[in-house]
Amino acid sequence: MKISIPILNLKYKDDLYRLILSLFVLGIIAIFFVSVLVIAAYSYPAVIRYGAPFLWVKTWNPPMEIFGALTFIAGTLFVTFLALIFSVPLALGIGVFLQEYCPFFLRSFLTVIIEMLAGIPSVVFGVWGVLTIVPWLRESVEPFFNAYFSGIPFLKVEENIGYGILAASIVVAFMILPIIASITKDSLSAVPDLAKDGALAMGATRLDVIKNVSLPYALSGIYGGIVLGFGRAVGETIAVVLLIGNQAIVPKSLFSVGYTISSVLANTFTFAVISPIYASAEVELALILLVISLLVNIIGRNILNSVIGGRLSRSQFGGG
Amino acid sequence: MAEEKKKDYEIKVDVKNLNFYYGKQHLLKNVNLFFKKNSVCTLLGPSGCGKSTFLRTLNRMNDYTEGARLTGEVIIDGQNIYGKSVDVVELRRNIGMVFQNPNPFPKSIFENVAFGLRIHGIKNKEFIVERVEKCLKYAGLYDEVKDKLAKPAFSLSGGQQQRLCIARAIATNPSILLMDEPTAYLDPVSTSIILDLITTFKKYYTIIIVSHNIQQAGRISDYSGFFLDGELIEFDEAGNFFLRPKDKRTENFITSRY
Ligand SMILES: Nc1ncnc2c1ncn2[C@@H]1O[C@H](COP(=O)(O)OP(=O)(O)OP(=O)(O)O)[C@@H](O)[C@H]1O
Ligand SMILES: [Mg+2]
Repeated sequence: MKISIPILNLKYKDDLYRLILSLFVLGIIAIFFVSVLVIAAYSYPAVIRYGAPFLWVKTWNPPMEIFGALTFIAGTLFVTFLALIFSVPLALGIGVFLQEYCPFFLRSFLTVIIEMLAGIPSVVFGVWGVLTIVPWLRESVEPFFNAYFSGIPFLKVEENIGYGILAASIVVAFMILPIIASITKDSLSAVPDLAKDGALAMGATRLDVIKNVSLPYALSGIYGGIVLGFGRAVGETIAVVLLIGNQAIVPKSLFSVGYTISSVLANTFTFAVISPIYASAEVELALILLVISLLVNIIGRNILNSVIGGRLSRSQFGGG
Repeated sequence: MAEEKKKDYEIKVDVKNLNFYYGKQHLLKNVNLFFKKNSVCTLLGPSGCGKSTFLRTLNRMNDYTEGARLTGEVIIDGQNIYGKSVDVVELRRNIGMVFQNPNPFPKSIFENVAFGLRIHGIKNKEFIVERVEKCLKYAGLYDEVKDKLAKPAFSLSGGQQQRLCIARAIATNPSILLMDEPTAYLDPVSTSIILDLITTFKKYYTIIIVSHNIQQAGRISDYSGFFLDGELIEFDEAGNFFLRPKDKRTENFITSRY
């Protein structure tokens, strides 16, 4: 229903809204490009001095002014992917349970709990990890792996301190779990009943319906949730600082200590500013993090569009 | 009511004192009727009178609907489908359903039709391919899709999707076919293919169709029922129903005064 105000004719109002909205959009784009520019400008001296090898040199030695980012890139990717591996299956399970199997009265309660979990500040997760996950790894998990799997390099326990890649990944996994779970649930709840009815009427079990109809339909949304989880994991700072052990080495085992881009920035950027090249190298780390996040977003979006393109764009559901 | 013509051995579906509530709404009011084996029955009535709701009670599609409640009996092959021991999944395997709006699965054209066979545990590839082709031909869709069976079903037009859903519903060879306005989306050519299909298939199936097209209904029905506000106003053999309706409201409706 359009309400027309005689003095402001619609055309004029439309133009005004468009102008205001365009300004906001331009503002957002400007903020984005200005921050990228600032990061790029400050990292320029390091980019020039260290060139491409910055990406694969392992040494990070500020006094000698030798800088390579490999340890941090490796640590970041290691923690991020492990966290995703831990949390994605669990989160999908939780989302499917909540939407498809959970009794109605429990569903809203559990949904609220999960949404609350998503809002807990990361430092709280970090502290929780130090108090529970680290001792558990140190006293139970690492001795176990030490006793039975010490022959496998990837599972070798080097220091048995509890801190390290695994501890950080587990806690980050818990942090992104509620995000992915609640987006999975929401995506499933948006699947049209008509689509599910089609399968049910064929004599499909609820599991058949979930596998063949609900999940394919919800895929794009779930995928978006995973990308969001990735974004949070890759940039997660404070919980990782508390748990990863903060040593600039390339982690070789699940139980290694390590360092991530965001945690090294959080720990050292305040001293780094005293030396221009040190500061510049650290800003270049930030640039790499930015590029990783952007790449994941763009690649994710493209995969998503190609998936939805053929799948849903022509679907036409009405009431019935 | 055509009560005197009702003989138990020819009854496929017998609906007794069926009431359906959705929350506080009383959507089906004490409905009594039956469907004979190998006959076509059309259900008519103005929009919102409960035709789709009624159809959905015949294969228990409202089981998961929050706030839905039902009393009375639906007896299929002598068994009350709302009885305690009934396996709903098993029940639905025997009943094909075509919905008011096309609702293909997010799968390829081929897999849409093969879906029922696959979930029934049929693994024989040749059998599946043969059956899929056959059903697509029955639904008058085969020539249009034979070169793109692997394409997503959503790449089809609305009318093609609806015919795909018809092919899908008959693929598992059910003994009852429920169709909610199956031709609403179709052009005259596809419509007449589907109407012919219905007439052919009543040899094997009991077919129950919701229709808004009185002429069409007259052409294909053996029996017809008229719903108004959740009440079954009239139910009779098609000849009587269309030519000599007993109730004034039925007459008004079939002469299009609603
Ligand atoms: N899920 C639901 N939630 C709320 N109301 C419903 C629901 N399903 C059906 N109804 C109500 O039940 C009544 C009958 O609906 P139904 O879909 O059976 O009508 P219909 O006879 O099939 O109409 P049409 O010819 O338009 O398809 C309507 O008044 C509708 O509002
Ligand atoms: Mg309807």
